[in-house]
Amino acid sequence: MLKEIKVYRDLMGANEEWAQKTRDVLKEKNITMVNIIGSPGAGKTALLEKTHALLATDTRFAVLEGDVETTRDAERLAPLNIPVSQLLTDGACHLEAKLVHYALLDLPLNDLDMVIVENVGNLVCPAEFDIGEKAKIAVLSVTEGEDKALKYPLLFREAEAVVVSKTDLLPHIPFNLEACLAAIKQINAQTSIFTLSSLTGDGLEAWVQWLKSIR
Amino acid sequence: MLRLYHMYRGCMHEFSICQNLVDAIVNEVNAIQPLPKRLLKVHVALGHLRQIIPEYLQFAYEVLIKDTVAEGSELLVRTVPLEVKCRKCQWQGEIERQAFICKSCGSTELEMLTGMELYLENLEIEVEDAEGN
Ligand SMILES: Nc1nc2c(ncn2[C@@H]2O[C@H](COP(=O)(O)OP(=O)(O)O)[C@@H](O)[C@H]2O)c(=O)[nH]1
Ligand SMILES: [Mg+2]
Ligand SMILES: [Zn+2]
Repeated sequence: MLKEIKVYRDLMGANEEWAQKTRDVLKEKNITMVNIIGSPGAGKTALLEKTHALLATDTRFAVLEGDVETTRDAERLAPLNIPVSQLLTDGACHLEAKLVHYALLDLPLNDLDMVIVENVGNLVCPAEFDIGEKAKIAVLSVTEGEDKALKYPLLFREAEAVVVSKTDLLPHIPFNLEACLAAIKQINAQTSIFTLSSLTGDGLEAWVQWLKSIR
Repeated sequence: MLRLYHMYRGCMHEFSICQNLVDAIVNEVNAIQPLPKRLLKVHVALGHLRQIIPEYLQFAYEVLIKDTVAEGSELLVRTVPLEVKCRKCQWQGEIERQAFICKSCGSTELEMLTGMELYLENLEIEVEDAEGN
């Protein structure tokens, strides 16, 4: 005899539970956590290096560095003298909420206002996994092409802010900034967009102001 | 003519999600009394905005159900379209992933109604009838 059984099981349920635990901790400690997502080499770590000088003036923050392998990015941030932990996924293309949760608990939470997570370099998978962040931030460099928002709509739809990075390279490459911004707005007209260069520091001020504003 | 090739392998996130699916199936099936003879079909709802490729999920499924109660069952994925409601003109309908714009008034103030689904909906099982068949 055949029988049909109706079930309703959210397949992200387990991840969602860990993300909720993280949100509870962040709320209790009054900490804002953001999740930075972009391709490998988009300039995420360089952005954090440069964000530090402007942000640290009045915001105590820590960084969780997500990578498939190596502790290189955490080592790059060591000179900043802020708490930095390296999260390794051993091959997986995204961070999941449970790993982030345990890494978060080991931070000096009573002495922090903000936690910045650099996700694994990837435009697809990290967008699928909530880690308990207040805001997702997409980083897209001008060397990646104007149409990336259209190809990876989920990330750009979910991002509270989009950083278009490496603008110092614009004079050297065929890249239509207007078309890039239009594509982003076509997916998410409400997102805040920052065009900046971590190399020259151009545009960093507005980005850091925004970061402070979501506290 | 443009030739299209798809790679039926996928990446880790389909595997990760599929492991959640298999775990959920095992829990559901073990909770059914009396225990079913066989699990035949599994129905999953998948929102169109999610970047989960049904073929990849299928591949992961075949790998991960080995030696579980789901072995031999068939995975059926139902894609749920991306539907929105316009906050300006109240238009309601389906849009493409590449343009979050109201098809009636052009507004970008849209509320998403469907498109982010990712859940196990339905199990089809074979159970013993009164005669023990
Ligand atoms: N010209 C230029 N290069 C940059 C900029 N930001 C990062 N880079 C370079 O891009 C490469 C990747 O940067 P990284 O921060 O490691 O990227 P991540 O993989 O996203 O963390 C490095 O060689 C950086 O020096 C920028 O604003 N301008
Ligand atoms: Mg990096
Ligand atoms: Zn409308």
